[in-house]
Amino acid sequence: MKLVFALALALPVLAGQNDSFLIRNATVHPVSGPKLDNASVLVIDGKIAEVGAKIATKAKVRAIDGKGLHIFPGLIDSGSPIGLVEIASVRESSDTGEIGEFNPQIRALIAVNPESDHIPVTRANGITSVMVVPGSTGGRGGGSGSIISGQASLIHLNGWTWEQMEIRRGGALQMTWPAISSGGGRFGGGGDPDSMPAAMAARRTPFSEAKRNQEAQVRKIQELFESARRYQQAKTASEPGFKPDLKLEAMIPVLEGKLPIMVFAAREREIREAVQWAEKEKVKIVLAGVRRPGKMTEELAKKNIPVILSSPFTPPLEEDDPYDEPYSLPGALHKAGVKFAFASFGTQFARNLPYEASQGVPFGLPYDAALRALTLSAAEIWGIADQYGSIQPGKTADLIVTDGDPLEIQTQVKMMFIKGEAVDLETKHTGLYKKYLARP
Amino acid sequence: MRQQLLSLLLLACAAMIPTSAEVPSLIAIQDARIVTVSGAVIEKGNVVLNRGIITDVGPAAAIPKGAWIVDGKGLTVYPGLIDAFSTWGIPEAATAAPATGGGRGGAIQVQITPGQAATPQATPARSQGPQDRPGTNSWVKAADLVKPTDRRLDQARGAGFTSAVTFPRQGLIGGHGAVVNLGGETSGKMIVEPDAGLHMTTQPSGYSGYPNSLMGVFAYFRQLWLDAGHYKLSRELYAQSPASVPRPEYDRALEGILGARRLLLPASGPIQLDRMTGLSADLKTPAVYWGVVEGYRMADTLKKAGASVILNVKWPVKERDTDPEQVDSLRTLELRDKAPTSPAILAAAGVRFAVSSDGIDAPRDIIRALKKSIDLGLKKEDALRALTLSAAEIYGVSARLGSIEKGKIANLIVTTGDLFDDKTKVQLIFVDGVKYLPPPETPQGPAGGFPGGRPGPTGPVDQEVR
Repeated sequence: MKLVFALALALPVLAGQNDSFLIRNATVHPVSGPKLDNASVLVIDGKIAEVGAKIATKAKVRAIDGKGLHIFPGLIDSGSPIGLVEIASVRESSDTGEIGEFNPQIRALIAVNPESDHIPVTRANGITSVMVVPGSTGGRGGGSGSIISGQASLIHLNGWTWEQMEIRRGGALQMTWPAISSGGGRFGGGGDPDSMPAAMAARRTPFSEAKRNQEAQVRKIQELFESARRYQQAKTASEPGFKPDLKLEAMIPVLEGKLPIMVFAAREREIREAVQWAEKEKVKIVLAGVRRPGKMTEELAKKNIPVILSSPFTPPLEEDDPYDEPYSLPGALHKAGVKFAFASFGTQFARNLPYEASQGVPFGLPYDAALRALTLSAAEIWGIADQYGSIQPGKTADLIVTDGDPLEIQTQVKMMFIKGEAVDLETKHTGLYKKYLARP
Repeated sequence: MRQQLLSLLLLACAAMIPTSAEVPSLIAIQDARIVTVSGAVIEKGNVVLNRGIITDVGPAAAIPKGAWIVDGKGLTVYPGLIDAFSTWGIPEAATAAPATGGGRGGAIQVQITPGQAATPQATPARSQGPQDRPGTNSWVKAADLVKPTDRRLDQARGAGFTSAVTFPRQGLIGGHGAVVNLGGETSGKMIVEPDAGLHMTTQPSGYSGYPNSLMGVFAYFRQLWLDAGHYKLSRELYAQSPASVPRPEYDRALEGILGARRLLLPASGPIQLDRMTGLSADLKTPAVYWGVVEGYRMADTLKKAGASVILNVKWPVKERDTDPEQVDSLRTLELRDKAPTSPAILAAAGVRFAVSSDGIDAPRDIIRALKKSIDLGLKKEDALRALTLSAAEIYGVSARLGSIEKGKIANLIVTTGDLFDDKTKVQLIFVDGVKYLPPPETPQGPAGGFPGGRPGPTGPVDQEVR
């Protein structure tokens, strides 16, 4: 093992080119097809050149012995503020959540900090790319009440600068569908858990009032889209006196269907409203943070609307829901034929993404579907499947080499390649481990 | 202007007429059905009241000469009802929210600043520890706060309530409750028993700073009682040898603690009850538990502890205007379903209980709430006892209140039939032997008082004035 590790570190020195290599005798899991035993993967100039049992190497590339190892496509986290948030509870280190209800002009990419300690830690478990979301995902950032938080960007978890990390600057528009919030939360408002009347008397907004508030917010969304359409027309017509507006300018790719909207909607009602709205506006949506799609599950499959799931390690939505409600959701979506991917929506636990995906496996999700959700499905949802998500010739060489199943917690990621370049797997943790191991 | 004044006067007169009548101090109710509560029902009998005391009762009780006679044919006489955990009589509490005892929710905010009501209140400093006596109003007495002008008294009497055990409720220790009669020209005449017990909650309100947690509240209570014990000893020591012992500082908070004969502790569910029985033992003071919303789960523990409780009978119901897609939790549904069965379960277990007006605006709804429990298996006698004798027993005034017996205070009501029948009307109310009529059944204003929102005339017309 140590030998392989040393080899990996020594790669750039040995190879003629930094992004070309051949791994032999490994088990290849292309995701796009069945696994191949004793197979090889040839990478030339950062691209997968060939996958097969026997590869005749014409090119003079460095060879790696993959005996006992497994090759998977790099895993994709479909939503995380990584690079924007270092410590969620420290305001100064949290760069998400711009103030304002509508900020489509904001791009997450330009704020990504390539030096974030979370990046190597997240990589250590096999994640090679992330959809960086600009909206607040909790912590002490601002942006609560924001409806459109900005543009999420797809990045590689490797690079000296954010420019080098970029996969797609405009990955998706992050949006939160307004929910009617009249309840006082899970236990009707909390309070002393042994004091039922207090919990029941907890202040709540009357439903009719909450509904009016929500409808007002939805109207604001409709108004934004109307102004964006007018702007688009004015721009194409080169109307005299046309005044550029970044906010509305950013909406044009959305209206053209080039930029999907990542709509956060947890429950059936919000999901239904969001889907109906998207159909009316003729925009492409990806639902996120889905918890209880209910009767909309079949609709989503029929209408081909994909879903981004967040961590299942959370209490069930309602007090009386079965404990496995969050665990069973991926299996149910799969059965219905809904395409889905997983997102950490956090930084410090982004590294757990493979285990969050595998939690669905004992609860009805086929293993292959879990792996696909982390790789090819995610790439398909975000429109990058021509380059990412599977091990196929022509695709970008985002690969992980492991000693087993990356969805298993004991498995070690032995090597990682992003765009064919070997990536350092040292983390803050391994650094500290070595430091204290060597303590006299 | 003059016309306005005249019409105002007329209005005042019109409002006054129903409650006023000339009543002598010697009264006999004749040939009525008498529900004594303490004994068997007398199907046809007489009750004699003299100078505010029941002087005779029975099927053949002699009608004294010169008595003012009430023909009781077809009518039923009950002891006056008692609200065992109330704010009635404390006018400032009228607009406050019900007590919750713990957790979030509104707490009764009775503004208690005797002697400094006119001075602007400085922001109280944050309490740093028990020495600051946070939220401690143990020196406040309901007996000093009650006023016969409380607008709610008229409605309460109209529903058949003649007494209430009323408490100041601000802070962790609200103050001393008093058993009061819901009638009388002066505050002093209302008081039946000035020391009914000390009102306590675990809810941080009415102060800021320490204690801000449940454990802090408990630690504070323990310290307070330790301080009171020490205070008592040093006071006694000083009394013995004032020449050699330094004079202890007077502390009104500790004086109030030492005067507590019982504690009114919140116990909405089994867990809080468990904590509170422990607290009562720690503080070496007997307790009466209030709230008891989950009484259906608490009967065994209460029986074992030999404890008495004051039930909150505002049965939980589904709120109006809620999200139609919101599914209520099983716990909520169970509470809504079972809360009204608590009285029957407590009665069957032999737990003594009374009832509270907490959270109920219309006093008549207290009786309606118990009717619901009767429909769910509570015996009518037990329901009536909770409204009368049990309340009196809990507060140690059963020798004077709670039943129709010779020698008891002449608090009784005359009705057209069974108390728990919604069609039944209260026709006459006697408080301390003084006759009152129910308020006219007019559409009620927001304050539940008189049309036009003016404070209505309460109390009887003074005989001397006539």
